Order: sequence, then C-alpha cells, then structure tokens
Amino acid sequence: MLGEFEYLIITAAAGLRDQAYGAAIRDAIEETAGRKCSVGALYTTLDRLETKGLVQTWMGEATQQRGGRAKRMVRVTADGVAAAKDFYDAVARISRGAAWAFKQTGGAA
Amino acid sequence: MTNAGWWCVETASGLLEPREREVVLGDLAEAGDPMLRGLFDVLGLALRRQASLWKNWRPWASAFGVALPNSFQLIGFSLLVSETFRRMFEQGLGADGVRLLLCRIALLAILAWSCGFAVGAVSRRTLWASIAACFLPCLFCLSRFGVPHQSPLSLLLFLPFALWGAWQGLRLVRLRLGSAITLAVAATVLAIVGWPGPWIFMLALIWPGWFLVATARKRPAKAQSD
Repeated sequence: MLGEFEYLIITAAAGLRDQAYGAAIRDAIEETAGRKCSVGALYTTLDRLETKGLVQTWMGEATQQRGGRAKRMVRVTADGVAAAKDFYDAVARISRGAAWAFKQTGGAA
Repeated sequence: MTNAGWWCVETASGLLEPREREVVLGDLAEAGDPMLRGLFDVLGLALRRQASLWKNWRPWASAFGVALPNSFQLIGFSLLVSETFRRMFEQGLGADGVRLLLCRIALLAILAWSCGFAVGAVSRRTLWASIAACFLPCLFCLSRFGVPHQSPLSLLLFLPFALWGAWQGLRLVRLRLGSAITLAVAATVLAIVGWPGPWIFMLALIWPGWFLVATARKRPAKAQSD
C-alpha cells in the first residue's frame, strides 16, 4: 500500500498530465495539500515509486525559465493508478462515520 | 535569489550527480525560492542520497572492513620497513638484509595498493568515508608517536601506494584477471617470505588482493559503471 506522500505525488502527477515534472508536482502539493515539500523528499520518493513501477520518469526539455536546464518529467503508470485508487478507497472506507468526513460530505446528523 | 545566494546553492549542488544537479537547479530557478530554502533543499537531497548508499553492505565493508583495520596494520608495517631500512644503514645487514628490505618494501606497496584499489572499487560514492576511516588511525598513531630514531612520517609510507590504488579503483573498478592474479600471488608469496607478525593479521591484508581476483573481468570491458 502507498504511503501518504507517495499518494500525494501520484495524484499531483496524474492531475498535471503532460506537465508533470518535479517543480510542478512540488507546487501542486504545496498549494493543494498546504504542506512543505522539500526537493529531497520529492526526488527520493519519485525514485522509490519508479523502482516499484508506479511512475515512469525521463529527462524533458530545457526552458529559459529554468536557466536552460532540463526537467525530470513524470508519468503515472497503470500500476500507479491502481495503487492510488486502492489507497483512496482505503481512506474513504476507514473515514466512513468519522466526524470530519461526515461534515465534509454534508450528511444529516 | 541573489547572485551570491545562487552561487551558494550551485556550489552545494556539486554534491549531487550531474543529471540530478541539472534537474534540481532548474526546479529551484523556476520556483524562485529564497536562498536558504534552496540551500536546505539541495543539502537535504544530497544527505538523503548519501544515507541511501549506506543501506548497502559496500560502504560498511569498504570503510570499516578494509580501510580502518588495514590502515592500522599498514602503519605498523610501514614502521617495520622504515626500521629495517635504518638498521641496514647503521649495522649493515648484508645481502640477506637487502633482500628482506626489498621484499618488505614490495609487500608494503602491493598490500597498500590492493587495499586502496578494493576500497575505491567497492564503494565509489562513499570513498570520502573510507579515506576518513584510513586517516583516523594515521592521526591517532601520529599523535602518540614516540619511536626513537624514527621520523613520524615513517608511519605513512603506505599512504602514497594506498591512495594511488584507491584512485585506480575509482577509475577502473575491476582489474583484468591476469593482473589481479599476478598481484594476489605476489602479495601472498611476499607475505610468506617477509611478514613478521601472526598469520591472521596477514590474511586480513591479503584478502583484498584475492577479492580483486574474484571480481576481475575476464575480457576488456567497453565501459565501467558504479
């Protein structure tokens, strides 16, 4: 089963589609999850996910905005999608009946 | 980020692999983070990369299985070679003495070189730790040195050979089989003739030579990688 940070990376990368690379994933996590994402944590976790076959990475094009340096592009594999879905389902199942989940879904008391 | 700040981050990024350095510097340039955050990001990643290397047996074997114990032994053997040399000049040891001296010098050179090569080849990216593990006994012995008629530098006779071996190990990774066998056999034969102490200590010094035989390449390789 995925770890929480692994899930955040896979979900952010899946959402970014063709624009998924290190800096963009980091921004997405920091903006949506509201937590700091260090470069070290990001790239070591990406390596681990790639070793598990959950993502693929390759060197992308360089842009002027990056000082002419290349990006490390990320694509979520089918196994990655399945693992993220398993994680999400597990969180959804275990959250049933939890007060905070109850409020968010707007259910009646 | 200011130019000075960027220079600090770029310098720190020298700790990363070239490909990763490019990606990380690109990310930081794009994000435009403050200097301190960029610096911590780079140093944090370098630290994580180093830590992950130590999950493997290689850095441990290299630093604490070869470099640390063998440098103590090689320091002792360096002192013995120096003492043999001094006696030869002061007392005149004759033809046998010269043979013994040459044998010990050759043995010291081969043992130190093969230990250095093994250390350099086994764990290239943690070579700094193996070098530190080799220098610690040197500093310890130098600080307590008190042998009359000997220069403290005589303790370090093995060091040039060991550093040369480590450099070669880093560069070549594996020896050719013929060279490795020649080296290991020479070390063993010379040790039988010229080793003054208990055999168990000698075995600790000659096993890196036989390790090089075990890992030697049978045919010339096109490229070597870590």
